[in-house]
Amino acid sequence: MDQLPNLGREIEMLSEMGMSSIDELFADIPEDVRRNDPLPLPPPQSEEQILADAERLLGANTHLDSRPSFISAGLARNFVPTMVPMLATRGEFLTSYTPYQPEVSQGMLQAMWEFQTMISELVALPVANVSMYDASTAAAEAITCAVRVRSKRSSQPNTVYVSEFVPPHRMSVIENYTQGVGIDIKILPHRDDGTLDLEAAKAADDSCAVYVEQPNAFGSMDEGLMSLRSIIGEKTALIVGVDVVSLGLIEAPGNWGADIVVGEGQPFGIGPTAGGPIYGIFACTKDYLRLMPGRIVGQSLDADGKIAYTLTLSTREQHIRRHRATSNICSNETLIALMGAMHMSLLGPEGLERLALRVTAATQIALETVASIEGVELIYPESPVFREFAVRLPCSSREALERMDSMGVMGGFDLSQWWAPMGDCLLIGCDERTTKEDIESLSSALSASISEVSS
Amino acid sequence: MRRNALPRWPRASEPELVRHYTLLSQRNFGIDTGFYPLGSCTMKHNPRINERIVQMPGIDRIHPLQPDSQIQGLLAIYYEMQDMLSICAGMDSVTLQPVAGAQGEFTAIRCIQEYHNSNGESNRNKVIVPDSAHGTNPASAAMCGYEIVEIPSGPDGRIDLQALRAAVDGETAAMMITNPSTLGVFEPEIAEAARIVHEAGGQMYYDGANFNAILGKTDPGRMGFDAVHYNLHKTFSQPHGGGGPGSGPIGVKSHLAKYLPSPIAARRTRTEEDPRGVGDGFWYFWEDPESSIGKVQQWNGNAGAVVRAWAFYRRYGRDLELMSEHAVLNANYLRHRIMRNHGDSAMPPMPKDGAPSEVVKHEFTLDMSPVKDATGVTAKDVAKRLLDYGYMAPTLYFPQIVPECLMLEPTETESKDVLDKFADDFLSILSEDPEIVKNAPHTTPVRRVDEVLAARQLILRHPCE
Repeated sequence: MDQLPNLGREIEMLSEMGMSSIDELFADIPEDVRRNDPLPLPPPQSEEQILADAERLLGANTHLDSRPSFISAGLARNFVPTMVPMLATRGEFLTSYTPYQPEVSQGMLQAMWEFQTMISELVALPVANVSMYDASTAAAEAITCAVRVRSKRSSQPNTVYVSEFVPPHRMSVIENYTQGVGIDIKILPHRDDGTLDLEAAKAADDSCAVYVEQPNAFGSMDEGLMSLRSIIGEKTALIVGVDVVSLGLIEAPGNWGADIVVGEGQPFGIGPTAGGPIYGIFACTKDYLRLMPGRIVGQSLDADGKIAYTLTLSTREQHIRRHRATSNICSNETLIALMGAMHMSLLGPEGLERLALRVTAATQIALETVASIEGVELIYPESPVFREFAVRLPCSSREALERMDSMGVMGGFDLSQWWAPMGDCLLIGCDERTTKEDIESLSSALSASISEVSS
Repeated sequence: MRRNALPRWPRASEPELVRHYTLLSQRNFGIDTGFYPLGSCTMKHNPRINERIVQMPGIDRIHPLQPDSQIQGLLAIYYEMQDMLSICAGMDSVTLQPVAGAQGEFTAIRCIQEYHNSNGESNRNKVIVPDSAHGTNPASAAMCGYEIVEIPSGPDGRIDLQALRAAVDGETAAMMITNPSTLGVFEPEIAEAARIVHEAGGQMYYDGANFNAILGKTDPGRMGFDAVHYNLHKTFSQPHGGGGPGSGPIGVKSHLAKYLPSPIAARRTRTEEDPRGVGDGFWYFWEDPESSIGKVQQWNGNAGAVVRAWAFYRRYGRDLELMSEHAVLNANYLRHRIMRNHGDSAMPPMPKDGAPSEVVKHEFTLDMSPVKDATGVTAKDVAKRLLDYGYMAPTLYFPQIVPECLMLEPTETESKDVLDKFADDFLSILSEDPEIVKNAPHTTPVRRVDEVLAARQLILRHPCE
C-alpha cells in the first residue's frame, strides 16, 4: 500500500499522543451508528493489476478514432495538440487547488486571466469567467443571471424566451435550474425552413432574456438571429449559445447584440472524454458583471508594486454570500479551461480560422455526398451549416445506424432520441479529422443500410 | 455572417508556449510541491496511474451518445463505482452525473423536492442548515427555491438539538449537514438529529466533504441520512486542477432513487444474443429512473473523474478503512504536536482549539484570537507567513463560527516527518517578530496581493491592442 507514508509508524505516533490503538481515535463514534464489519469490497490491487483491468475494460470500448465517426451533437472529435495535456498535467497545475492564496498561485491565475482574454476576444464581449461545467449549465446560469439583472425593470418579469430547437438535454438542465426560482420559460417557434420565426419573436420584446443557439441543434446557421436585438428591445438580455470553433469564421455574437455568450469549450483542449470533464464558456457585458456566476481573475499589484493576479468580485460567490450568492458554483472546470487556453494559444487567430475552414469544408463535402444518396434529403436544405447537418431517410434511422455500425461506420445520431417524431432523421457531424475516405465510407454504408432496411 | 476581424490574441510557436506555460507552472503551488493542509478540501496525493488511464482512447475518445454495445467498459466502471459508493455510504442508489460537490448538493435537494411534491407536500419550502455549513449548502438549496433556516451551533461547535427542535415544522423539507462537522469533530447526536427531522416529515442530507474521516467506521446511511453527495476530488483523489474539474456523485435511499438524474448504469446477465461484453458475464446498459428529474449535466457527469476515482478505489478496495484511519491519525497527531505545550507560560501566545474535544477526526480548527489579542498577528498573517516556509496556508476564516479560524486537514498521504516539521515551523512563526509576520509573505513569487485594488480597477483581460 504505497499511498500511506506512515504505515508502520502508527504505534510511534499514537504513543506520542499517549494512546496505544487507532480505535481510541474513533471512540467518539457512538455504538448506534458504528460499522462493525469490514466493507464488503474486494482486496486492494497493485498498480500493475489496475492497469491490466483498465486496459481490458476501456479496451472493450469502441472509440471515435478507430473508425469513420460522425457523431457530434456539440462534442467534437477534435485533434488536441500533444503539448496541451503534457503541460496542463504538470503537477504544479494539476495538483493545485483554487488559487485562494494568490501569492503562490500566480501561474494558474495568470493562465486563467489569459484564458478570459481569449474567450472575450473570441465572442467579442468584455468579461469572461474561468469556466462553467458545460454548455448546458452555462446556458441555465446565463438565464438565471439575466433574470436577476433584468426582471425588476422588465414588462415581462421572470420571463425568458427560448428557441424550440434547443436540444432536450440542454432544456432539461435549464428547467432544473429555473424551476425553483419562479422563472417562466416560453418557447420561440421556428419556421418550416428551420429559421427562427422573427415575427413570433416579437412576443419576447422587453422580456428578461432570449436564448438562442448559433449554429442550432441541427447544425444550421440562421442569419435572422443577428436582427434579434432590434426585435426584443434594448433591455432584454440576448443570450447566444455558440460553437467555439465556428467563431473562427462567423461573426462573434458580441458584435451583433449579444449580452451573454455561452457554449461548449471542449473542442479546444480535450477530447470527447465520454462527456466529461468538459467546460462551458460564459462571457458577458459589464451590465451582468456584478451578478454573474463563476470565478473571475483580475489584475492587481503586490506589496512591492509588481503586477499580480488574484480572484476578484468574490462577494458574488457562495463562500461569502451563502444563500444570496449568484450561484452555488465552487469547483468548476479550471484545468480543462487551461487546456483550452493552451490549445487556443497554439492555434493563434489564423489557426483558428483555418480550423473553422477545415470543419466547414468537411461538413460541406459530407453534406453534398450524403444528400445525393437516393432517398436521402436534407431537412433544412436552405440553411448554411457548421459541423453538423440533419437528413431524413426513407427508413428508420435507428435501424440504419445499427446496420452502419455492423459495417464499421459510426453514422451519426438518431434524432428521435431528442424528438420522438424524428424516427427517420439522422444528425451527421464532421470535424477537423474527417477525411475523404471517411465520407466515402459513410456514403457507401448509408446507401447499403438504407437498401437493407427498406427491403 | 462572416467574421469581420480575427480575434487579437498573440501568435506563438510551440517552443515559446511550452516555455511560457512551464514558467507559469513554476509560479504555482500544488500538492506535488508541498504540504497542503487545506481544511475541508482533502488535498491528498493524486496518484499518477490515474492520469495514465484517462489518456487511454477507450475513455478519452468515446462519445456519450454511442450505443451501449460500444461502451461496455465505461458502463462496467460506472456500475462498479455506483455500487462501491452505495456500500461505503450506506445508500441504495447512486448517480455519477453531478460534476462538483455543489452540483451534487443541488441535485440531491432537487430529488428531495420532487419527492415532497409527489407526496402532495410542496408546501415544504424550508431547508435547515447549521451556521457552520459550507456556503454551497445554502446556495444550492436557494437555487431550488428553498428558504434557508440557519440554526446556531452549540458552544462546542456541535449541533444544538434544542435549536433544531425549535426550527423544524411542517414546512421543513430537509436538513443539510456534514459529519464530522466542519470543525472536524464527530457529531455524537447525529442519529437523534435525524429522528427530529424525520418526525417533522423532513429529509436528511449529508454533505460528503468530510467523508475521508469515516470510511469503514460508520456511514451516513446508519446515521439516518436519506441522501448524500460524494466529492471524488476530495475523498477519491481526482486532482483539483486549480479549481476543477470536480465530481459530485450523489447516493440516495431507495425512496428517492426514482428521482435521480438520468441515465444510471444498470446491468443484467449477458445472454448469447448480446454482442461482446467485458467478459464478466454481465451486459451493461443505461437506464432512466422512473420519475427522473432529467439532467443536471448534459451528458453523464465527469467520466474522466469517475475513472480516476475507480483506479484510486481499486488501490485500496476494502482497505479504504485504513485510508480513513491514517487520515484521522495524521490530523490528531498534527493537532497534538502543535498544541502539546499549550498552557506553558514560557511559550509565546498560542491559539485555542476551535472546538474542545478529546479526539478530532480528519481535520481540526485553531482559534488564533489569543495570538491576535497579544500581538496583533491575525490568522491571515500566519497563513501568509506559512507560504514563506514552503507550505500552502490552511483554510482561513471558515467555518465562520470559530474566530480567527485556521482549519487544517493533513490527509493520510503526509508523512510524520512533514507533520513534525510543519508543527515546529508553525510554532516558530508564533515566536517571530510580529512585524515580519504581518508583512508576509516575503519570499514568494509575488508579495501580498492587493485584493481591494483588483476589485476596484477590474482589469479582467488583456487589452490586446
